[in-house]
Amino acid sequence: MKKTGFLYDERYLLHDTGPYHPEIPDRLQAIYQGISEAGLLDDLILIKASMPNVKWVEAVHDPEYIHRFEEVCFSGKKTFDYPDNQMCTETFETAMLAVGGILDTADRVMRGEIDNAFCAVRPPGHHAETDRALGFCYFNNVAICARYLTDKWQVKRVGIVDFDVHHGNGTQHIFEQDPKVFYYSIHEHPSFAYPGTGREFETGNSKGHGFTKNSPILPGQGDEEYKHLMERDLFPAFERFDPQVILVSAGFDAHMEDHLADMNLSTDGFSWIMERLVEMAEIYADGKIISVLEGGYNLDRLPELAKNHMEILLQK
Amino acid sequence: MFVNRSMTKKVITIGPDTDIFSARDLMEKHHIRHLPVVREDGCLVGMITDRDLRSVIPYEFSSISGKDHRKTSEQEGLARKIEDVMTTHLIKISPLDTIQDALLLIQRSKVGALPVVDDQNKLQGIISVRDLLRAFINVLGIGEPGTLLCILVEEKVGQLKKIVDAVTEDGISLGSVLVARYWDEKKRAVFCYLLTLNVRDIKKKLVDLGFDLLDPMQWYMDQLPEPD
Repeated sequence: MKKTGFLYDERYLLHDTGPYHPEIPDRLQAIYQGISEAGLLDDLILIKASMPNVKWVEAVHDPEYIHRFEEVCFSGKKTFDYPDNQMCTETFETAMLAVGGILDTADRVMRGEIDNAFCAVRPPGHHAETDRALGFCYFNNVAICARYLTDKWQVKRVGIVDFDVHHGNGTQHIFEQDPKVFYYSIHEHPSFAYPGTGREFETGNSKGHGFTKNSPILPGQGDEEYKHLMERDLFPAFERFDPQVILVSAGFDAHMEDHLADMNLSTDGFSWIMERLVEMAEIYADGKIISVLEGGYNLDRLPELAKNHMEILLQK
Repeated sequence: MFVNRSMTKKVITIGPDTDIFSARDLMEKHHIRHLPVVREDGCLVGMITDRDLRSVIPYEFSSISGKDHRKTSEQEGLARKIEDVMTTHLIKISPLDTIQDALLLIQRSKVGALPVVDDQNKLQGIISVRDLLRAFINVLGIGEPGTLLCILVEEKVGQLKKIVDAVTEDGISLGSVLVARYWDEKKRAVFCYLLTLNVRDIKKKLVDLGFDLLDPMQWYMDQLPEPD
């Protein structure tokens, strides 16, 4: 059995998006419930939220943007730039705590205290651009973690796999010129789903050319197409890239019963994906894989999806 | 929506008495395929395309640069001038014509670009398929993050209002709205590009209002599917 970290903190529930929003605290509670009711907590190393050094947030986001986010948040406004970005006065601090918790988790993995981890945080991150909050995301959690690994821990090759149903425009844009970070995303085709990026011809640019790979999937497709595209696009790409750490943008919204998008991935399909990612981490990254929550909005399905996700990391 | 807002204004042009090899070099240097031929007074007298040039430059000379070639070809009497090979039956457009005019004219005339001239036949710019695509991407709103929905509506007054009202009540911004024909003549397909990730509630609301949401795999913007 692996030494698996589980980042969870009740302070992640404080980011309140109001009554009509899908990205709600109940999502995290459903995830926690699924993991605890399966009796997995005793097997896990529990990690709590912490505040990060703001310089790591600034390693990805513009200082002016961070400042503006803080100001708008404390001013009591309910939205930040777009109606998608509902917020409360605790949102800024919650977003900081998410980053801090993830960086703490990354330290533990790099120090060898734990083998791998799942970070159940809110708000999500992969749509956030360096200077813009988008699609429920404020700080790009996974991007900050990747930059932390390359800069603080001198990791030469970080592989990111994003299986959220929506393309991670923010993560792609942040690293599209950076050959140290390979960004792979599999998502609903951008002509049909948010945010409208992530087409096959987006492959990175300048020094980062060839270090971005997108597998858009047409609406209605399910397990078979996911398997086919990951075997065709991700496996050979990671074989060449040879990542030293794998980060996962784990969104559970491609599930067939999730109504924010149109995909037909089954619960078993999610397990297949995660099993392959953990296998790849064993082959290339000495088992180092850190998974970070992005989307996933069906409260009835999240407990089981999270439980399976955790069991695969634990390799129990 | 006028041509002068979308056209390329800094145009690379060529004089009528230049030789064809210089024209080819100019096109290669600037990665362009159309050269307006302009007299010294700025009046447009013709157009020359890379295809025109390919058909007049013998294959054996195609890889030699213009400078070396001019010598050889002058000796061989091959140095033809632009005015001998250019197109003079010009399809032109005015800066105050619209983007829609340009779209239809380009489609009908099967050319890749139109020279833009004023009343005095002075060249003002060039508008290419690429310029029109840029304008169309802007019209569709797809440069901004959003989600496209396709809503099937009865062909009767007030349907679009209901949709726009529902979207507005939910505080969602519209990137664009396109209304397209549908195979059932009594219906229209309304494509709404919504600047949001959160389409779950608005989808449900539209269904509750009695609209059909078309399965994304059944969307056709460019043709009419046969009914089952």
